Amino acid sequence: MTTASIVFVVDDDPSVRSSLKFLLSTVGLQVESFDSADTFLHKKLPDAPSCLVLDVRLPGLSGIDIQRELAARNIRIPTIFLTGHGDIPMSVRAMKAGAVEFLTKPFRDQDLLDAVRIALERDNRRREQEKEVTDIQRRFDSLTAREQQVIAMLVSGMLNKQIASELGTAESTVKVQRSRAMEKMQAQSLVDLAKMIEKLKDPAEKAS
Amino acid sequence: MTTEARGAQTIDPLDLRNLIEMMPTPAVCALPDGSVEFVNREWQEYTGCPTEQPNLWVWQTTIHPDDAAKFIDGLTAALAGGKPFQTEARIRRADGQYLWFLIRKVLAVAPTGARESSLRTLITCEDIDERKEAEAKHEQGEGLLQAFFENSPNLISVKDRQSRYLYANKQFKKAFNVFGEVKGKTDGELFSAEQAAAFQAVDRQVLQTGLLMRFEDVALYEDGPHTRIVQKFPLFSAEGEICAIGGAVTDITDRKREESALRYSEENYRLVVETAPDAVISIDERGAILFANPATVRIFGYDPTELIGKPLTILMPEFLRKLHEKGFSRYLATGQRHINWQGTELTALRKNGQEFPVEISFGELSRDGHKVFTGFIRDISERKQAQQALQMTQMELARVSRLTTMGELAASIAHEVNQPLTAVTNNSSACLRLLAADNLKPEVLHRALEEIVADGNRASAVVARIRGFIKKEPLEKNKLDMNDVIQEVLALADRELYENRVRLERQLTKALPLVLADRVQMQQVLLNLIMNGIEAMIPVTDNARSLWVESRVDESGDILVAVRDSGTGLGSAADRVFTPFFTTKANGMGMGLSISRSLVENHGGRLWAMPNSPIGAVFSFTLPVSAGSPA
Repeated sequence: MTTASIVFVVDDDPSVRSSLKFLLSTVGLQVESFDSADTFLHKKLPDAPSCLVLDVRLPGLSGIDIQRELAARNIRIPTIFLTGHGDIPMSVRAMKAGAVEFLTKPFRDQDLLDAVRIALERDNRRREQEKEVTDIQRRFDSLTAREQQVIAMLVSGMLNKQIASELGTAESTVKVQRSRAMEKMQAQSLVDLAKMIEKLKDPAEKAS
Repeated sequence: MTTEARGAQTIDPLDLRNLIEMMPTPAVCALPDGSVEFVNREWQEYTGCPTEQPNLWVWQTTIHPDDAAKFIDGLTAALAGGKPFQTEARIRRADGQYLWFLIRKVLAVAPTGARESSLRTLITCEDIDERKEAEAKHEQGEGLLQAFFENSPNLISVKDRQSRYLYANKQFKKAFNVFGEVKGKTDGELFSAEQAAAFQAVDRQVLQTGLLMRFEDVALYEDGPHTRIVQKFPLFSAEGEICAIGGAVTDITDRKREESALRYSEENYRLVVETAPDAVISIDERGAILFANPATVRIFGYDPTELIGKPLTILMPEFLRKLHEKGFSRYLATGQRHINWQGTELTALRKNGQEFPVEISFGELSRDGHKVFTGFIRDISERKQAQQALQMTQMELARVSRLTTMGELAASIAHEVNQPLTAVTNNSSACLRLLAADNLKPEVLHRALEEIVADGNRASAVVARIRGFIKKEPLEKNKLDMNDVIQEVLALADRELYENRVRLERQLTKALPLVLADRVQMQQVLLNLIMNGIEAMIPVTDNARSLWVESRVDESGDILVAVRDSGTGLGSAADRVFTPFFTTKANGMGMGLSISRSLVENHGGRLWAMPNSPIGAVFSFTLPVSAGSPA
C-alpha cells in the first residue's frame, strides 16, 4: 500500500471519529476526519490514492447524498458506508451507486481495515488508468489533424491504399504520415495503437 | 162620538133587525162595547143558543177559547176606533164542534128613534171551514216538502221561465254563500257573470228540449271548486206548459277525493313495492310465499314467479330454518315474538347457495281471518363489507402507527447505542492491534481506555434515557369492576366472535371486589387475550369454537380473569409466548403478550398461560383488590 494514501472519515460523532482515526492509524494509514458532509465537500481532494469512510446518518446531507454529489462532480472516490442499523434498502442503493462496502456499527476492526485496503487498491488502479489515458491523450493531441485522420482510418481497419484514395493523396504520403504518427504515439505496433485509441474513447461513447 | 158615528147612516131599528134576520149566514148586531144586542136565526140554529139580551159573553161562550181573546180585542178596538174589522175564528156549533168562520164587521148604523142612539154594528159570520181545511192540508203538505227540501244535503232550486228564482234550499244558499230571500232574483244578481252564464246556458237547454239533463260539473263554491252531479228538469203546469225549471245538485267532491286518494295510494303502494330496492315478500300462515316483488331477482336470484307457493325457508341457510319454523309456529300459537320485527340482521341464502347478510323488517295483516306476513328484506352485504373494511382499516392504521412508533424507537435506540459501542470496539481493537505488534505505548493505552470508559457511560445513559421515556406514559388508575371491563371488551369483540362463529360463554362472578387499574390498559390486555383466543380457533373446523371468559376471586384474594379457548393450543410455544417479538401469527408483531404481561405486572398482578382441557389454552391474569374495596 502506498504510503501517501489518505482515508477520509465523515461522522458527526466525535468519539466515533477519533476511534476510527486511532484504529486506522494502527495500520499506518493517514486519516483526515470531518464532522459533516458539508465540510468534506468543501475540501480540495489531494492528488493521492484515497478512500472515504462515510456514516449514512449525518446531520444535513446524508452519506447517500454525498455519494451522489461526488458522482455529479465526477469524483470517483471509493466509499465505505457505516450505518447505525442495518437498513437493507439503503445499503442496496449505496452498493448500486458504487460503494465498496456497507458496514453495520459496531463492526469488526478487520472488516473495516479490509474494506479500506480494497478501496485504496481500487483507487490506486483507477488513478493509474487515468494517468495512462492522460498520457495517451497528450500524445494524441500532439498529432497534426491529418495524422489523427490517418490513425482513425487505420484502427478502423483500412489499408494504406484505401486511405490514400479516401483522402485524395498518394499512398506514399499516407505511409509517411502513418509512421510519424506511430512514432509520436509511442506505439510499438498497429494493435498497440488500436488499444491506445480504444482507451481514449469516452466511456459514454463506448457504451453506445 | 166618533167620525163614523157622526157620518153613519141612520136606520130604523126594525129594519136593522129585519136586515140581520135576512142574512143567509149567522149574523149579530153588536153594541159599541162589542157586546151582542141580538142574533139572527142562522146564528141561533148554528150555535143552538138564543140570545136576546145584550151580552158580551156571547163571544166568550161561542168563539173557540184559542181564538176568543184575539177576536174580542180586535173587535172592541175596531168598534172603538170606527175601523173596518175582519178575522177568522172558530165558532162552536150546537153539537159542540168548532168550525172556521170569517167574522166581518159589515156595517155600522145609528138606529133612529131608538132609546139607545148609540151605533149598532152588523157582524156577519161566513163559514170558511172547508177552505180552511183545504188550506191546512195544503200547508201541511207544503211544509213537509219544504222541510224535506231544506234538510236535503243536495242543492235544490226552482226557477221560473225567466230564470228568476222561485225557491232555493238552505244547502244551496250555504254552498253559494247567499243570504236572505232568493225569490225573484236572477243568477246574474246572485253569482259571478261567468257562473251565471253557465247556469243559464243549462236552463235554456232545458227550456228548449223540455228534457231532464244530468251531468257532472265543477262549480265554484264559497270554499273552492266542487265536483257535482247536476240534474236540471222542466216543471210542467196543468196545461202541459213548462212553467219552471227545477235543479237538484249532489256534491260528490268528497267522494271523488276519496276515490282518487284511494286509487293514488293503491298505485303508489304498487309502484313502491315494484320498484323497491328491497325484496318484499308476503307469506301466509303456513309460511308459504304469497307474493314477491321483482327485487327478489337481484337480491336472491329467484324470479318472483319461482317463489310463489314455495316455503319461505328456501331463502334461509340451513342453520336458520329450524329456528325460523320454531319461532314462527310459536308466534302463531302464542303471539309471542322471538325476534325484533324491525331491522333484524339475519343471514339469507341466494339461489346459487351463497349466504349473505340481510336486514329484515316485517309486519302482519289479517285478511279474511288469516294472517299474512309481509317482510322487507335488504341486502346489507355492501354495508357490512364497508363496515368491515373500515374496521380493518382502523385496525391496520392502529397497527401501523404502533409499528412506526416502535420502528422509529428501535432505530433511534440502535443509532444512539451503536455510536458509543462503535467507538468502544474501535478503540479496543486498535489497542489490541498495537499490543500484538508490541507497539502499545502506555499513554496511548491510557487515552484509549479513558475514551472506552466515557463511551460505555454514554451508552448506559442512552439506555437510561429511553427507559425514562417509556416510563413517562401516564397511567390513570381508577377503581374498576373487572366485570364492567369484560363486558366493554366483549362488546368490542362482538363482531369478531360472530363472524368467526365463536360461541361465547361468560362465567362472571357477581359483586366482584374492585381493582385499582387503568381502564384502557386492562381493556387492551383483555382484548388481546380474547383476539388471540379467537385467532387460535380459526383453524378449528371439526369442533365447536368456544370461548369462555371467567372472572372470580382466587385463593389469595386477588381478582382473577381467565380467557379460555378451544383452539389449537400452545404446544411447544408455551414457554415462549411472552417473549418479545415471538409470534406464531403470519403478520403478528410478537409484542401483544409481552406487552400485556408488563401492563399486568405494572398493576401488581401476574399473567400466565396454561393448556386448556381437553384442547386449547387458558390465559389468566390476576389483579390485587383495591385497598378500599369490600373484599
